[in-house]
Amino acid sequence: MLYRTAGQFKTSYEADQALFPIKQDAFLLGVILLLAVVVFPLTASEFTFQTLLIPILIYSLAALGLNILTGFAGQLSLGTAAFMGVGAYACYKMITLMPWMNPIVAILLSGVFSAGIGVAFGIPSLRIKGFYLAIATLAAQFFLVWLFEKWAWLYNYNASGAIQVPNLEMFGVYVSGPQASSIVQYYVVLFIVGLLTWVCINLTRGNLGRTWKATRDMDIAAELIGINLMKSKLTAFAVSSYIVGVAGALFVFMWRGAAEPNLFDIPLSFRILFIAIIGGLGSVMGNYLGAILIVGLPVVLNLLPNALGIPIGSATVEHLNIMIVGSLIVFFLIVEPHGLAQLWRLIREKLIIWPFPH
Amino acid sequence: MKHFTKLAIAAAVAGVTAGAAMAQELYTPNLAYRTGPFAATGIPLMNGQADYLNMLNARDGGIGGIMINAEECETGYSTEKGVECYEKTKGKAIVTQPWSTGITLQVLPKTNVDEIPILAPGYGFSPMMEGTTFQWAFNAPSGYWDGADMIVQYLESQGDLSGKTIAFLHLDHPYGKEPIPVFEKMAGDKGFTFEPIPVGLKEMQNQSAQWLQIRRMRPDYVVMWGWGAMNAGAITEAVKTKFPMENMIGVWWSGHDADLAIVGDKGKGYKSISWSFPNMDAPVMADIKKHVVDAGKSQSNDTEMQGVFYGRGIVISAVLAEGIAAAQAEYGTAEITAAQLRWGLENINMTEERINELGLTGMVAPFSTSCSNHTGHSGGWMLEWDGAKFVKVSDHLTPNVASYQELANTKAAEYAEANAPWPTNENCGG
Repeated sequence: MLYRTAGQFKTSYEADQALFPIKQDAFLLGVILLLAVVVFPLTASEFTFQTLLIPILIYSLAALGLNILTGFAGQLSLGTAAFMGVGAYACYKMITLMPWMNPIVAILLSGVFSAGIGVAFGIPSLRIKGFYLAIATLAAQFFLVWLFEKWAWLYNYNASGAIQVPNLEMFGVYVSGPQASSIVQYYVVLFIVGLLTWVCINLTRGNLGRTWKATRDMDIAAELIGINLMKSKLTAFAVSSYIVGVAGALFVFMWRGAAEPNLFDIPLSFRILFIAIIGGLGSVMGNYLGAILIVGLPVVLNLLPNALGIPIGSATVEHLNIMIVGSLIVFFLIVEPHGLAQLWRLIREKLIIWPFPH
Repeated sequence: MKHFTKLAIAAAVAGVTAGAAMAQELYTPNLAYRTGPFAATGIPLMNGQADYLNMLNARDGGIGGIMINAEECETGYSTEKGVECYEKTKGKAIVTQPWSTGITLQVLPKTNVDEIPILAPGYGFSPMMEGTTFQWAFNAPSGYWDGADMIVQYLESQGDLSGKTIAFLHLDHPYGKEPIPVFEKMAGDKGFTFEPIPVGLKEMQNQSAQWLQIRRMRPDYVVMWGWGAMNAGAITEAVKTKFPMENMIGVWWSGHDADLAIVGDKGKGYKSISWSFPNMDAPVMADIKKHVVDAGKSQSNDTEMQGVFYGRGIVISAVLAEGIAAAQAEYGTAEITAAQLRWGLENINMTEERINELGLTGMVAPFSTSCSNHTGHSGGWMLEWDGAKFVKVSDHLTPNVASYQELANTKAAEYAEANAPWPTNENCGG
């Protein structure tokens, strides 16, 4: 009923190939964008910005980066957090060496560094596959975190070994550092995440995306039909690491404000991998759904007992929280192993033919 | 319509009275960690803190006639959760207690904007002692640099240090690196060799590589800046390699009874510098027993209550309570604000008499804070493990603050510059 497609005729190939062949999808996206751009920022409190809106967007972007590599090109990676770290440290060095630099430009440029490192660590993927490649990326994870600790130049020889985000201005408004207001940071994050998501949707639907999918599904067959595997795999590593690097720079500059090397250790890699898997590998929207589940839900669950007036200790809440989120993950994976994006796809298909299923 | 207006008025009145009822307490949230990898050390500290404030609430009806709401917000020692807790509590909090160096690093730059005092007793960024720059941060009664200085003083009292070697076994983390500048400076002044040996976060439980290095180096002393699982790892490893325990000294966070109970008698002689001491005969312990433990409001147990960390939790809450009391006296109101509490924390005067009056006899050394001195530099005692518990083995040691005051000023200025615009307190007399 809501999703009735009757009467929506396509008269050209462009219309048939459009991103949203069904009007309702475009309408839904419009509503979500309206919420994200107007409603949330106007109504959100400082707490909502800092614990829900900004982190969910940043984690979604990081998962999107990983999804390009793992979901679209089929190259398993466990080094996401380290590549985020490269982006964050690159951005920090650029900002401190060149304080006149526009922060958004610096954040977007910092991805270039992680793309370079990503390609370097992606070279083994030409020879090794699957779990073995995962081990190779794991090496990147350990090596880079070690480097962040030992190479004092990266953190400007700070005694504590941590990087601290300075106050950065853009057109007279603070966009990062302690003086920046959450709403400004939110809009910066939303702009960059939106931009990169748009780029990714188009990339994955285009020639390059098809090359990646062919590589993922069967690399020998892809080679036989004339796809250059080296190019395909390395571009996947480059694009993925670029996005992950930008996510890392946003992570530190727009949200955390300070970072120590072990922040970029393997638990963060796993967290992002979980978001990508639970959201759905090979999907763009899934990353957002996954991030809402993994990042947003625990925060909301933590607030529940207080809001309902149930008097339980915060440590107990934390224990319960871990159990609930854990079992939800298991539940969703059993119900739909292909992730939340697939779940939504099925719901949508059912809605389209409802109330007359064949 | 009339009915609706009535309802609306009733709701508004209820809202106002509820608001007033809410304000009848001081909200001093604690970003606790009773879960996660460091829970073993967190639980006794949090229990000590909570029990002291519960005791004040039960015995005196709070502080200055107003109840204290020391709600805990669980962080599991995770920075991410810590920031979540900070954002959640900062609306009505008059103080924030971040509890981890990572969370302190995140919260510190925001304090000038949010204007909430940070109370980080005995941890955090050492240059925080410079109150003119760090207007909102307090690490009374002692900072890490005080600890480093007192350890070297104690070692000097055991014999001349020139030509000796001190190995510095530390967590490779902002916390562990904190005292290095002061040790290096003293190594230059006093002519001993200072060898930092970092322990990575992943190697905390397995330090065989580090102890092999120590065995090869044959240092005269091992000074340890460890935390959580690292302490137990280092102590068991030291016992295994037969390092003379009496030459091993830890900072106050490396003096946890449970870590030493594992090795028992073999750990005899291990020392830890501390600004707090669990004096079981102190009147406050009896009061806590009477008002909190016997009332069934404590989460602690007998063994834990005899430990150093539980006693330290009590002292931390007592410092906070003193700050609140000082602010209440100055502003003549029980319901103080965050800014007023800042004044209070700057004007703590813990004299020997006051300590006795509070019933904390022998649990903390006298100290006083001022607007430019946010640490107080109480000094402390060298504690030694006698096989079953920690005992005092030194007189009251006082840090020689003058020797690193300049360093603190430089570091504070560097911090302010890196975080510009960073307002400093210009009307700070002294």
